[in-house]
Amino acid sequence: MLVLTRRENESIMIGDDIEVKLLDVKDKQVKLGVMAPRHVAVHRLEVYEAIQAENRHAAAPTKMPDISSILPG
Amino acid sequence: MQLETTRFGTVDYDDQSVITFTQPIIGFQEFRRYIFVDGPEGSNLVWLQSTDSGELAFILMDPRKVIPEYDFKLGQHELSELAVTVVDELDIYTLVVVPDDPTKVRTNLKAPILVNPKQRLAKQTILDKSSYPVQFVLSQAKAGANESEEVDSCSS
Repeated sequence: MLVLTRRENESIMIGDDIEVKLLDVKDKQVKLGVMAPRHVAVHRLEVYEAIQAENRHAAAPTKMPDISSILPG
Repeated sequence: MQLETTRFGTVDYDDQSVITFTQPIIGFQEFRRYIFVDGPEGSNLVWLQSTDSGELAFILMDPRKVIPEYDFKLGQHELSELAVTVVDELDIYTLVVVPDDPTKVRTNLKAPILVNPKQRLAKQTILDKSSYPVQFVLSQAKAGANESEEVDSCSS
């Protein structure tokens, strides 16, 4: 892992078109700004991982459930 | 076209009916092309079957059948990625997970599947700014329909 030290309002570039800027440091939190092309999705890692895990559950081999009874209307 | 599937046997489909994901379903990077296969009549459910792999299929539902107020905004780039100008032009689905206990069937409200039915484009988006849960148990919605929204607070 590449480790860089940055101060407030300093940035790093990832490739030619992704900039990550350190906007603010307060207590144990840092605020980051990400400037990336539209096709690059940027997410918090824990959210991304939770959705990936849930998608894998959704793809598990299964039969269509008879859940019409628990669906309202 | 013909596709061998593990769930439905041989499926005939038209190339025109294939839906292409502009961004793949997260965790399924190599699968971009899907078709819809009808679920049970009157169930609000539909299968999303991969045409790249006969083994891969997801169950989708219309979340607004359970949560009529389910709503969100999309950025301009996401709308143009799907070749629409407003969210209303999109069909909204959420992925359904069926655990062993059928009363615990759940759906992912945090990361809906957006479909442009005219251009046959789709993507899974993550609603970063909303508080919708990744795991929403459907029986909660029914319990909550006649009571308050505090489904956890049923004591005495």
